[in-house]
Amino acid sequence: MKRTGLSLALLCGAAPLAGQGVVIAPHAVFIDARTRSGAVLLYNPNPEPAEVAISFFFGYPATDSAGSVVVRTVEHPDSTSPSAAAWIQAFPRRLTVPPLERQTIRLLATPPPGLTDGEYWARLVISAKGGQLPVTGPADTAKVRVGLTLEVRTIIGVFYRKGAVRTGVSLSGLRTAVVGDSLAVRARLTQQGNAAYIGSAHAALVDSTGKTLSEMKAPIGVYYTMEPRWALPIGALAPGRYRLRLDLSTGREDLAPELILPSPPVRDSVEVRVP
Amino acid sequence: MRALRYAFVLTATAVLPLAGQRPLTVTGIQSLTFGTLIPGIPSAVSRTDAGKSGRFDVGGPHDAQGQVTFTLPSVLTGPAGATLPLLFSGSDAGYSQSQNIGSQIGFDPRQPFLITFSGQGRGSVFLGGTAQPAPTQRAGSYTGMITLNLTAFP
Repeated sequence: MKRTGLSLALLCGAAPLAGQGVVIAPHAVFIDARTRSGAVLLYNPNPEPAEVAISFFFGYPATDSAGSVVVRTVEHPDSTSPSAAAWIQAFPRRLTVPPLERQTIRLLATPPPGLTDGEYWARLVISAKGGQLPVTGPADTAKVRVGLTLEVRTIIGVFYRKGAVRTGVSLSGLRTAVVGDSLAVRARLTQQGNAAYIGSAHAALVDSTGKTLSEMKAPIGVYYTMEPRWALPIGALAPGRYRLRLDLSTGREDLAPELILPSPPVRDSVEVRVP
Repeated sequence: MRALRYAFVLTATAVLPLAGQRPLTVTGIQSLTFGTLIPGIPSAVSRTDAGKSGRFDVGGPHDAQGQVTFTLPSVLTGPAGATLPLLFSGSDAGYSQSQNIGSQIGFDPRQPFLITFSGQGRGSVFLGGTAQPAPTQRAGSYTGMITLNLTAFP
């Protein structure tokens, strides 16, 4: 039936794509061991129903060799991994969100007995498909015609916290390199404690008088060890000696303060020589 | 047992999303469109082609980061199992923080791309590609699916 509908749409020509996807809030779910439950709100702003499927996997942000942040997926996490993917369930797992309506996805954690204190992670996948095919034009079975449908998958973090949770970060190997009109900054960050370090990085390039010449701020999440790369625009910097200061703190604009695990700021600096 | 668990979830005190958190959105606005193809003649669509390029709109909380990845078909499936190759190259995707198709940062749709939701917290992802019908390509309709994955950090 689905294939027939697909073919008919291809042959007859469908209307322009009306938009496919759902609005999701929040963008990270924190579950406390005392309630063991959470919720995600879905809203369909489009004129077509959205078919939604929910699933979980274990993964976390890491960096590749170039310092870019990527999601590292672990298909079969071992028993030492802080994975909650196997024991958090979503209800329902499949649903249709009618146009301009909202639905709530409930999350329930059923951790194994004897789980030690700490934070456990999972990634929640919300897949949404609309009902229209983006093919236009007159029907003609004698020609080669192509129609591509769209699917959107939104993946958000789920954090299960049990007992005493604490976080921190260590900073080492701070280094810089002038690349064109930018200053590339890299450092080695290692998570401390038993929870992810969710915070912000602030880098500033200052001259000998302490005047800030360039700066940047970026959110960071340190789950294990990572070596991110940031770039500060510096333009045509005059030859001389400068200083790059890097501050890591647990302040975040996109998360409510009560969800953030506090940790003392961590700072380091390094001399920058421009020949 | 399963019914009991479900009932518990429905009645449990839900941890509702906080009002201060802006929602995350990914919307497929326009699919990559090739229209009618001539066998043996490749058809390329640029990511800056407003009428034919694929477009996804994304949005998220200010100061949050997300990773965009595509799941792309290498072939499209047509009549009687016939296939039609689809090619994506290194700069076939683009991201515009201003949602302007004329102001994109190009990226490889086969590699992850990091975006930061700043300012209005919105952006658009554009996608081009090349369909490569063979000289003996069977006539008919060919279909495939393009998936955009947006992974929100933290």
